[in-house]
Amino acid sequence: MKTLAVTGKGGTGKTTLTSLIIRWLSRNISKSILAVDADSNVNLNDLLGVPLKNTAGAIREEMKFKIHNLPGGMTKQRFLDYKIQSSLVETPDFDLIAMGRPEGLGCYCYANTLLRDILKTLSNNYEYMIIDNEAGMEHLSRRTTQNIDYLLIVSDLSIRGIHTAGKISRLIKELETRVKEKYLILNRVNESIPGPVTECIKEEGLNLIFSIPEDGDLLKTDQIGKPIWPILEHSLAYKAIEQLMKKILQ
Amino acid sequence: MSKLIATRAIRGAHKLVARADKELNQALEEKSPQTRVEFPNTGYYLPISHGILGMNIETLGGLKELLKEAKKLLPPIPDKKLWLPYLGHTLDAGMATLFADEIIEAIKYTQNPLPYLPEPNPKDGHLWLGAANDVIMRERGIEFVDGTAPGFAACVGYCPSNKTAVEIARELQEKNLYVFMSAATEGKSMAQQLQEEGVEMGWDTRLVPYGTDVAATIHSLGFATRVALSFGGAQPGDYQKVLRYNKNRVFAFVLALGPVDDEKHAQAAGAINYGFPTIADTDIDKILPTGICTYEHVVSPVPHDKIVAKAIEVRGLKITITKVPIPVAFGPAFQGERIRKEDMYVEMAGQKKPGFEFVTSKELNEVEDGNVEVIGPEIDEIKEGSQIPLAIWVEVAGREMQSDFEPILERQIHDLINCAHGVWHMGQRDINWARINKEARKKGFTFKHFGSILHAKFHGEYGKIVDKVQIKIYTREEEIAELITAARQVYEQRDARIADMTDDSVDTFYSCTLCQSFAPNHVCIITPERSGLCGAYNWLDGKAAYQITPTGPNQPVKKGKVIDPKKGQWQSINEFIFNNSHKMLEVFNAYSIIEYPMTSCGCFECISCVLPSTNGIMTVFRDYTGMTPSGMKFSTLAGTVGGGVQIPGFIGHSKHYIGSKKFISADGGAKRIVWMDSRLKEEMKEVMRRIGKEEGIENFLDMIADETVAITEEEVLTYITRMDHPALSMPPMF
Repeated sequence: MKTLAVTGKGGTGKTTLTSLIIRWLSRNISKSILAVDADSNVNLNDLLGVPLKNTAGAIREEMKFKIHNLPGGMTKQRFLDYKIQSSLVETPDFDLIAMGRPEGLGCYCYANTLLRDILKTLSNNYEYMIIDNEAGMEHLSRRTTQNIDYLLIVSDLSIRGIHTAGKISRLIKELETRVKEKYLILNRVNESIPGPVTECIKEEGLNLIFSIPEDGDLLKTDQIGKPIWPILEHSLAYKAIEQLMKKILQ
Repeated sequence: MSKLIATRAIRGAHKLVARADKELNQALEEKSPQTRVEFPNTGYYLPISHGILGMNIETLGGLKELLKEAKKLLPPIPDKKLWLPYLGHTLDAGMATLFADEIIEAIKYTQNPLPYLPEPNPKDGHLWLGAANDVIMRERGIEFVDGTAPGFAACVGYCPSNKTAVEIARELQEKNLYVFMSAATEGKSMAQQLQEEGVEMGWDTRLVPYGTDVAATIHSLGFATRVALSFGGAQPGDYQKVLRYNKNRVFAFVLALGPVDDEKHAQAAGAINYGFPTIADTDIDKILPTGICTYEHVVSPVPHDKIVAKAIEVRGLKITITKVPIPVAFGPAFQGERIRKEDMYVEMAGQKKPGFEFVTSKELNEVEDGNVEVIGPEIDEIKEGSQIPLAIWVEVAGREMQSDFEPILERQIHDLINCAHGVWHMGQRDINWARINKEARKKGFTFKHFGSILHAKFHGEYGKIVDKVQIKIYTREEEIAELITAARQVYEQRDARIADMTDDSVDTFYSCTLCQSFAPNHVCIITPERSGLCGAYNWLDGKAAYQITPTGPNQPVKKGKVIDPKKGQWQSINEFIFNNSHKMLEVFNAYSIIEYPMTSCGCFECISCVLPSTNGIMTVFRDYTGMTPSGMKFSTLAGTVGGGVQIPGFIGHSKHYIGSKKFISADGGAKRIVWMDSRLKEEMKEVMRRIGKEEGIENFLDMIADETVAITEEEVLTYITRMDHPALSMPPMF
């Protein structure tokens, strides 16, 4: 199993890029994909064009709420396992699970221990796990996600975007999450990268940079709220993703 | 036991001892007393006299000593008028019979030509093999010890037809049992019947023809004795150890086929000494439980098609199936596999179709072991990609089975079925869900195999409580709809039983050290009436977690000696706490907030603390962020209470614990609560009303202050004084 995680500041298009990656992998490499929506906004499914049944977070809350009247004799482990497995969105091209809101107040060690074990076992059934993370990397810091093969940090051409990317890069180090390769993905790049941005990237110590061009088709799909899945093969962004994936997987 | 059967056994013993006497004298007339007697190629002396009496008989003359012992044991034949307890006498008669048998058989080995073929298998028309030599005994005996062969059936007599003889032999072979055959009745024996049917016999096929003589039965018990000496570490003459070893380790029994005469009764009495019961197909007198064998001693009459199953049951033999008979790989490694929709051949139950799983216990005669029935379409009758209902109905029977074990077995269905490669299972009870993938289907996996798995593994892992298992797999909605109602009723009864569980009703609590990673000295003790303070773990979870991971953070803790029943203090619990808190805590009271209260990691749902001037306590839920009458907010309180230290007057606990009868019961219980945050109060209102009712306090809920009326201790006191809260009139807390 290979794990690819996408993260970055909000609004940089990471969810869009995640869906394009899933689409490309599914079309070209394997349909044994577990897509994990680890952003509390929960919209990866919209872009992929599938309805969502439930989120792991909601299930965890439900379990905590029902703690003393679970279906008789069932352990929390088994109840949670059943619920998580049934929350999975199954399609011919990929399966999707949404993590939902990270926890509220109080103690979640037990629920999270369970959740982590379940996700670990589940993900081992797939050739690829693609995680759409939010910038805070809540699930990473809570250790609900495990080691990562490829981490793609997405930014636009703003200084604040690059700073966030730098922060994430450092956070990863602190978390001791093992990351094999780390890429900075610059999204919506029209022409050349402005000087101050290049400077900033250098300051943040980021390398392995890849650019995705601004894509009119993509923008239009987004504007009318359509899923990204049926996007044309020749769209600029999709082409760029193809190159990126080929480079990563070679 | 009846006088009749004792009389017959004792009479038989007298006949055989007399016969041994006669034959020995005859032999001594013909041959010198120095004539060597032995069972050829055996390192031991004659096994029964050697093992039981410690005698080393090597010569014909030496047999006279054994005869003396046999005569010494012979009890008088019961008087026609006098009734006595007969068991002791019968056992003595049985032992005397075995000594006589051994004399008779030993003499045979001095004859020329030898009446037995000293080979492992019959050859050239020579059927009878006599005593097994040492090579055979070493080779085969070890199978009895390591469990490859659970035991042997000593078959005496003959069957009404050759066909029945073959069927019984086959059934015993299938159970991996050895079949030792001896003692012809009216000139016919089971071994000859098998010979006529062309059945291959010998040690290789586990069908061993010892001899036509009733005395040849001694080779079965001789074999058993040698196993005890060779593998059981029993010393010659230590008859207690020899006999006990056989009772506990060698699962043998006697099948009495056809008419049972006095001499055969005497053999049965001999076998009972070893803990081997006799099962007869004819109507003879019974000896039901008396304590020598594991269960009954003599059972009759048993029909031929039931006789093997009955014998296994009476002997307490546990059938183990080493390999689960299914066409796909089986093992815990496959437990985590999920079957993706694309790979799925069939989906069963789950969100779209009804289903349930149910284990129930039955009487032994109501269950046919290994019977698996599929009611509704089998896998080959349904289309790929179908969704169908699924009910798994398991009936188990066992001498040691209790209805309390039903849910434990039921919970295992999930883990066991999941071990099959290409089969995936979720849930339990009426929330079940399964998938079988295309590959498993291609390899020939069927619904019936769910039953095969459960049959094999229930025997293998729960053999202690399970003797027989039969399974019905339902795949049609009509039957399921009907049965699910019955199952649900049982589920409800079970839940009610669990809800009624009290700390006093169990002798074991469970520890939880899941949080020790950040509160190294903290140990939770989870009791039926006090769930873990995080609110996530109750006693049953602890128990289940321990069963799944015996070395995990939940360990069973025996209560041990009661030190203080009111405060909830037990010796073994104290010891456990001491050892597992890195020797930081020595004493712990489960039911007190004042004296040695339970510590907290930092995970508590609620914190309670004493408000001294009110003579009561306040309880705050962790979501409440405002000020509390203790002068601290939840977060500050949490900092005080957490980290595994005992702070008298403060405890962390679950919401659920507030409703427990054991909630600070040593200090007066929930009546002490004078303040709660309003959200907790609202959530717990039913519980508080119930407590008020139980305590005979009207409007108890209203007497409890919350942050809308009081956020300082003085305000609480004013409020509860006005409301006449019961805490004010209770004895001082400390």
